[in-house]
Amino acid sequence: MLRPGAAIPLLLLAACGRESAAPLPGAASAAPGAGRDRPHWAFVPPEVAPRPPLRRADWCRDELDRYVLARIEAAGLAPSPEADRATLLRRVSLALTGLPPAPEEVDAFAADPAADAYERRVDALLASPRYGERMAVDWLDAARFADTYGYQADWECRVWPWRDWVIAAFNRNQPYDQFVRQQLAGDLLPDADAGTRLATAFNRLHRQTNEGGSIDAEFRQEYVSDRVHTFGTTFLGLTVECARCHDHKFDPVSQEEYYSLCAFFSSIDEAGTYPYSTGATPRPAMRLPSPAQATDLALAEARLHTAERDCEAQRAARLPAFRAWLDAPPALAVASARARFALDGGVEGPTGDATRLDGDSGPSFPDLPAFRRCDPYSLVFWMLCPDRKARATVVHTSTFTIESDQQGYQVLLKDGRLCWEVIHLWPGSAAAVATVDEFPLGRWVQVAVTYDGSSRAAGLRVFLDGAPAPVETVRDQLDGPATVRSFQVGFRDRDVGFQDGRVDDLQLFDRCLSAVEVAELQRSGALAEAVARAARGEEVPGLLDFFLASDAPACAAAAALRQARAAHQDLLEAVPEIMVMEESRYPRAASVLTRGRYDQPDHARPVRADRAIDALLPFDAAWPRDRRGLAEWLTSPRNPLTARVEVNRLWSLCFGRGLVPTQENFGRRGEPPAQPEVLDLLAHDFVAGGWDIKAMLRRIVLSATFRQASAASPALLERDPANQLLARGPSYRLSGEALRDQALAASGLLVERLGGPSVRPWQPAGLWEDAGATGAYQPDTGDGAHRRSLYTYRKRTAPPPALLVFDAGSREQCLARRAPTNTPLQALVCLNDPVFFECAQALARRAAREAGPQPRSRVERAFRLLASRPPRAAEMAALLELYQAQEVELAADPAAARAILGADPPDPALAALALVCSTLLASDAVVTSR
Amino acid sequence: MRDPDRLLQPTRRHFLGSTALGLGALAMAELLSAPARAGGPRPRARRVIYLFQAGGPSQFETFDPKPRLRADHGRPLPDSVRAGQRLTGMSANQAILPLAGSFTDFARHGRAGIDVSDLLPYTARIADELCIVRSMHTEAINHDPAITFFCTGSEIAGRPSMGSWLSYGLGSANANLPAFIVLVSKDAARDQPLYARLWGSGFLPSEHQGVQFRAGKEPVLYLTNPEGVSPHARRAMLDALARLNADQAAAELDPEISARMAQAEMAYRMQASVPEVTGLADEDDDTFELYGSASRTPGTYAANCILARRLAERGVRFIQLFHQGWDQHGGLPAGIRKQCEQTDQASAALVVDLKRRGLLDETLVVWGGEFGRTAYCQGRMSPGDYGRDHHPRCFSMWMAGGGLKRGIIHGRTDDYGYNILEGGVHVHDLHATLLHLLGIDHEQLTYRFQGRDYRLTDVFGKVVHALIA
Repeated sequence: MLRPGAAIPLLLLAACGRESAAPLPGAASAAPGAGRDRPHWAFVPPEVAPRPPLRRADWCRDELDRYVLARIEAAGLAPSPEADRATLLRRVSLALTGLPPAPEEVDAFAADPAADAYERRVDALLASPRYGERMAVDWLDAARFADTYGYQADWECRVWPWRDWVIAAFNRNQPYDQFVRQQLAGDLLPDADAGTRLATAFNRLHRQTNEGGSIDAEFRQEYVSDRVHTFGTTFLGLTVECARCHDHKFDPVSQEEYYSLCAFFSSIDEAGTYPYSTGATPRPAMRLPSPAQATDLALAEARLHTAERDCEAQRAARLPAFRAWLDAPPALAVASARARFALDGGVEGPTGDATRLDGDSGPSFPDLPAFRRCDPYSLVFWMLCPDRKARATVVHTSTFTIESDQQGYQVLLKDGRLCWEVIHLWPGSAAAVATVDEFPLGRWVQVAVTYDGSSRAAGLRVFLDGAPAPVETVRDQLDGPATVRSFQVGFRDRDVGFQDGRVDDLQLFDRCLSAVEVAELQRSGALAEAVARAARGEEVPGLLDFFLASDAPACAAAAALRQARAAHQDLLEAVPEIMVMEESRYPRAASVLTRGRYDQPDHARPVRADRAIDALLPFDAAWPRDRRGLAEWLTSPRNPLTARVEVNRLWSLCFGRGLVPTQENFGRRGEPPAQPEVLDLLAHDFVAGGWDIKAMLRRIVLSATFRQASAASPALLERDPANQLLARGPSYRLSGEALRDQALAASGLLVERLGGPSVRPWQPAGLWEDAGATGAYQPDTGDGAHRRSLYTYRKRTAPPPALLVFDAGSREQCLARRAPTNTPLQALVCLNDPVFFECAQALARRAAREAGPQPRSRVERAFRLLASRPPRAAEMAALLELYQAQEVELAADPAAARAILGADPPDPALAALALVCSTLLASDAVVTSR
Repeated sequence: MRDPDRLLQPTRRHFLGSTALGLGALAMAELLSAPARAGGPRPRARRVIYLFQAGGPSQFETFDPKPRLRADHGRPLPDSVRAGQRLTGMSANQAILPLAGSFTDFARHGRAGIDVSDLLPYTARIADELCIVRSMHTEAINHDPAITFFCTGSEIAGRPSMGSWLSYGLGSANANLPAFIVLVSKDAARDQPLYARLWGSGFLPSEHQGVQFRAGKEPVLYLTNPEGVSPHARRAMLDALARLNADQAAAELDPEISARMAQAEMAYRMQASVPEVTGLADEDDDTFELYGSASRTPGTYAANCILARRLAERGVRFIQLFHQGWDQHGGLPAGIRKQCEQTDQASAALVVDLKRRGLLDETLVVWGGEFGRTAYCQGRMSPGDYGRDHHPRCFSMWMAGGGLKRGIIHGRTDDYGYNILEGGVHVHDLHATLLHLLGIDHEQLTYRFQGRDYRLTDVFGKVVHALIA
């Protein structure tokens, strides 16, 4: 921590300065070889250093110990003795599972004379399902995983299935390169499946907004940038975000490279806001059916295909009947509309009175018949467009205003062209077409738009003045409900209305009108002419459809198809969805953004997804130009950073501090490793050994370095206060999650169940309301109160307060390392948080139950349950004194004893023991891993 | 690295004694704990009370009268005024943007003849104390980015808030209270949410994060002993804890342990000092009358203003009140009237009260929101009713106290209140100026994170000397 005015001069402007930044004065941390001409240590691939000569080589258990010992010996010091078995087992258990060992496990380990006693414990810990949970905590920080979207309204987003994927991946020891590849590009892999696609949710865990008035393009760029920053920090330990506005000042990341990275991550068909009113899951998304749902869906899909085939077969089968009908047609008429709106507004129109629109208001028709996307329907109306419209809302059905709230159907003018769209969520889930030609101006045109209930763009047709208009497909990926209940004409709140446009006589049909019917609506007699032409042997498009629409066998097949679609959609739409990555079929052009501004693309500097950071590793021509290629680049053995960053993360997990302490920054401005040989050895071996995470952790915790006692001598403390030489074992304050989990485990309250929806343990009332956040926090009362903390519901704008006190972030952005602090509020949480006090109560009961009536044995039991080791004499004396004094006081105050225990009877000894346990929960022996 | 502040703590306690919190002692404590000031500008203020009016108060109904809007009421905003500048998605697509004249009148107040709207009669009375800025401007046009920008100097989440920077730069002047305290009105309309990020410490150590004091029996989360645990029992527990930790410290020789012991003791002191400061029982009737009757109800804006003064008296560096409800997209006349009624008297009373206690000269009071509002009406305009959309390009704030000019209006906007004509003050400039008044060069207050030296003002910000006395 550097303070202004402290010893190190800090005269420079902010390092990322758009103004010139002076070279770093006193930049002691800028690494050996920080000059521009010499490559930075982290940007050259790791190599194993020569074996150093050692005096005490027998101390070493692993190759890594040799390098550590060499530095210790060079400093004229000696390594510390091995930690006692209780301490060691506690240390390694907390590191690998986030939970303390049970006293019985400690006893068994202490009494185990076998040479591999420790190894077997380590293997058991790595095999425990608790291992994956512990590993996930750090990964969730990096992935900015939360249960809400963040930003202002901060509504719930359902992404916990991805968290369970992470836990499972760690537990089955998925190699790190696969782990990374699947999260980056699981949708693009040759062996992609539901699991690998789910993994890509990693890229969608950034915050999203639905604040009214937000500009879609602005936030879409924010999301893309967030993916790139998370990619840089998590996998490369680089702050690529500096290059958003200009070439990176210190690290070799150019602005072009930044936007090329953006191009890898911007190729999905997403919206810049999530919906306010429809509840739709942002696209792209995948469905996560339960096994039963999957079975039902497969069945429904089969039925749907059968019904489609039947319908198609009817067209052929009914041809003879059609020909017979042509010879003797009955009275020809278009069946009347389901609803008709005169749109009388005092101006002259083709059917009398018409409406002129002002762009900010217009007719609204609530309570229309509800059309689903399996229902065919058509709209026929007259409109007059006075001038070329870049955008104008003509008819629409959405209830709210931001783009992602558009749902149902709509007719718009965009760039002068008429668009006909059926939408679940724009643009990721919609079927939409636009006319090839611009809409005629200055005259009345009869517009007919039809939809056949197929959820496909091919089922959308546009007719102008009775004739089919050629259209282009704009979107063809409708896969969610698009139910319609109302519509508005000529305007939409906060959208561009049909200013000075005129509309008249709108008819709504609950059928997909055939071309001949549309023609008939335009000009009476057109239908009869069509029949006559067909009878002469001419091919008349749409006439067969007209016939089939009133033909009993064809109608039966159509009804069956509609039924099959409805049944399939009912099932499908009940299946939970989750945001994932999926390449868009409608790519957007990408270019460098001037000064990083979303609205200032520099078209002279187009970018493609074809390079990452060349100074680290050029992009191989053989790699695909997409996220899969980027994953190849990242997991290439020649990438100098990927393995280093990961082994550093694993080291930090065991030691509480990385070999590179700035885990988030391996660049020139990060802190260089105090033990570069160890880092490079492990990085090298990690890749050579198949990116095996468990094997790497096992190796680290089995090392002599890790096994040392953490106690310092005055000389060592003086010489190496930060323990850079590793001449003593690790010690660090536990995370907020580990502290709570430890208390729950020791007291017997912990509910060990893997995965599932996030839970809501107790937190102080009113926090969500204070934040003005939607809804109140309702604490769980059952198992949810006592699950491991990684399952605790994470609301980004109101994070769990006790975790926040212990430096857990808000998950609003990627966090590679939590800053360890030591504050008064931490003491208050340990002593006063009802969750911790509940653990103290339960622990007292457990200790009393298991240790009998003797105060000394009770205290010892509680101490060992929490701290894993027996108390020393001075500790026992302090606790016994507290116990006995409080027992006397509480015997005189049964109300207090009852309150402390939260129940009758007001046993003063038990209540005093609860106070002892509460005190222990705040003590160093419990709070710190040593 | 050990916190130099903490290393100095015993010395500071020595100077402060156990109860002496007089100004002399405070000044000494500040001298000891204020490395940020070494070589910085002369400090003019010791602390800030920031009255954040969340949602974006309209300048047209408060401090920036525009007769032209009344004259042109209902006419479209001229394109030449807007000049293609972006609007929010809420009004960007309106067919017309009709100008909306203010429903409220203005009068000139004080010796300098400061324009204050009739909605703010109490504020009008302190006109001679006010340093009004009519030419604030910001970048963002939506609440979340804008309020995040104002509170942290960046639209991006994860940067330290103003108060955290001050806590980091100046340390605490009271060993028993946090340096940065946040108070959120309970009586405000919750139109736009607030978030912990606004007072978060970002990448600064979490000890610098704002601590929210809440109305009710537990003003600070986890402050209250569990039921049945008496203060006496707590003391005994802490004594036992100290013995445990002392034994552990002897065994491990880890300086973190003694730091933890000190923090536990500070927690204990907070348990006494926080209820002492948050309980308003010892305030006299005159004071409650000064702040208005709502000040008797804990958690109201008015009560929080009294509490802010009490915290200021005890040396808290940065006291930030949040009052929501200023987001009048529609129904502005009724909405803003209510907002003003809730806040006007107490805001003015705070300035008066600080002054009569001799604290105004060393306390900076700041009043304002995250952006202003548009000259034109959003949505439908009807006789007597209208709304205004967000407007970042100019808006008004006021400040008072430590080191500022008094009774002035700074900056000028065009006839439509749409663009700044002169004296523009960007959010970064405001931050730079606040730091300057506190004796900090905003370019020197840096913290290295991810290899970059961050500042509250990023690479921007100019001290606005025109505001400084």
